[in-house]
Amino acid sequence: MRKVVCRCEDLTEEEIIHAIEMGYDDIESLKRYTGATTGPCQGKGCLMHILRILSQKTGKSIEEIGITTQRPPVNPVPLYILASGEEK
Amino acid sequence: MKVAVIGAGIAGLATAYFLAKEGVKVEVYEQKFLLHGASGRNSGGITAQFGDEELIKLAIRSEELYDKLQSEIGFNFLLRRNGYLKLANSIDELREIEVQKKAGLKVKMLEPEEVKDIFEDINTKAFKFASFYPKGAVVFPWAVIWGLAKGCRELGVEVRDFTKVEVVAENGKVKGVNFGEFREADVVVNAAGAWSKEINEKLGIKDQKTIVKEEICVTESIKPYIDPYIMHVSNGLFLSQSMRGEIVGGIVGRANGDMRSSLDFLIRYAKLATELVPKLKGLAVLRQWAGIYDETPNGRPKIGFSEIKGLFQLNGFGRKGMSIALACAEKASKEILKFTQEV
Repeated sequence: MRKVVCRCEDLTEEEIIHAIEMGYDDIESLKRYTGATTGPCQGKGCLMHILRILSQKTGKSIEEIGITTQRPPVNPVPLYILASGEEK
Repeated sequence: MKVAVIGAGIAGLATAYFLAKEGVKVEVYEQKFLLHGASGRNSGGITAQFGDEELIKLAIRSEELYDKLQSEIGFNFLLRRNGYLKLANSIDELREIEVQKKAGLKVKMLEPEEVKDIFEDINTKAFKFASFYPKGAVVFPWAVIWGLAKGCRELGVEVRDFTKVEVVAENGKVKGVNFGEFREADVVVNAAGAWSKEINEKLGIKDQKTIVKEEICVTESIKPYIDPYIMHVSNGLFLSQSMRGEIVGGIVGRANGDMRSSLDFLIRYAKLATELVPKLKGLAVLRQWAGIYDETPNGRPKIGFSEIKGLFQLNGFGRKGMSIALACAEKASKEILKFTQEV
C-alpha cells in the first residue's frame, strides 16, 4: 500500500523515511532533499505528516524538530496581480 | 596534519573534498543546516561572462570541474548547458565582452531579433543589446552541495552541521576551532561566505567586504521551455527555468544585512519579469526567499593565507560563487597542501 504524504510532489511515507535514513534528518534538510512542502500547497497539506514521520523516526519531539521557515506568499499569487502593485 | 573548514557551502566542501583526496585529514563545520547560506539560496546561473580575465579563467576551470566531479562522485548536479544570456539597454554595459573575447571565450553579441531564436517569448522591446555565452548553464545548487557532501563523507571527511565554531588562535598562529569542544587544527579555512567577515573581524583581521542581500522567488511549474539563463544587467532582473519546471527569478542584490523577504521585491520582480516575458503573467508565485553573500571591493574572491599563520581565506565570491568556487577550491587545496608539506 502506498501512503502518499505530499500530494504536490507525489511523495510517499516510504520515500520520506528513506531520506531520513540517508541522513537528511533535520526538518530543513529533509524538506530540501525530498521537495516536501515546496510545491503548490507550500506545506499546508504535508508539513504535519513530515513532522510526524520525522518525530517517529528520530525519537525527537515536535518542539525539538521545529518547523520550516514559512515563506510568503501564503497562497500562490499570479504575477499580473503582483505587477499591478505599487512600488515603495 | 589537520585542516578545519568553516562553512559547508560549495567552496568549503569542494576544498575539503580535494584535500581529502590527497590524504589530508579534514573536518567541515557548518553553523546551520547544509544549504543555509548562499550555496543553498542562489538561482544556479553559471557563466564565464566577466570583465576580469582572472575570473574568466576560474569560471572556465570550474566548468571542467563540474563535469569531473559529477562522474567522480557519482552524483547528478542537474547541470544543463543551454547558454547564458546577458541583456542590456546600453552597449556600455556589455563592453566586458572585449575582455572575454581576448581571454578566448566563445561569446557573441546578438541582435534582439536573434535572441528570439534562443527564446521565442522574449519581448525584444525590453532590451537593446545582448551577449550570449552558449556554454553558460543552469545548475541545481542543492544537488551540488549534496553531491560534494557525499563525496567528502565517502573520503572520511567529517561534515558537521549545526556546529557553530570559533577560531582559536594564539601568538599569531591558528590552534584549531572551538564549539564547546576544542578541536586542534594546523589550518583553518574561512569559507563561511557572508559570515566570513565576522569571523575575520573577531580575530582582529580587517575585512573590507560588503554583505549583500538578494531576493529570489519561484513560480508554479510548467513544462520546461526556457532554455537559457537570462540576466538583464540594466535593471538586475534574472530568471531561468529549473528542471522541475519552476521559473526561478530575482533581482540583483543591494548592500543590506538581513535575510527577510519583502513584498516590495515581489512587486518589482513581477513588473520586470512580465515586461521581459509577457506570457509569464498568469503564472503564480509560490514562494520567495532572501539570501546574503559577501562581495570584495574589486570583485575578486579572497584566496590565500592571511596574517594569522594557518588561517586560510576562501571567501568574497559575491554572486559568482556557483560559477567560480570549484576552481577557487582547487587552487586553495593546492596552496594548503603545499603549506602542510612545509610544516
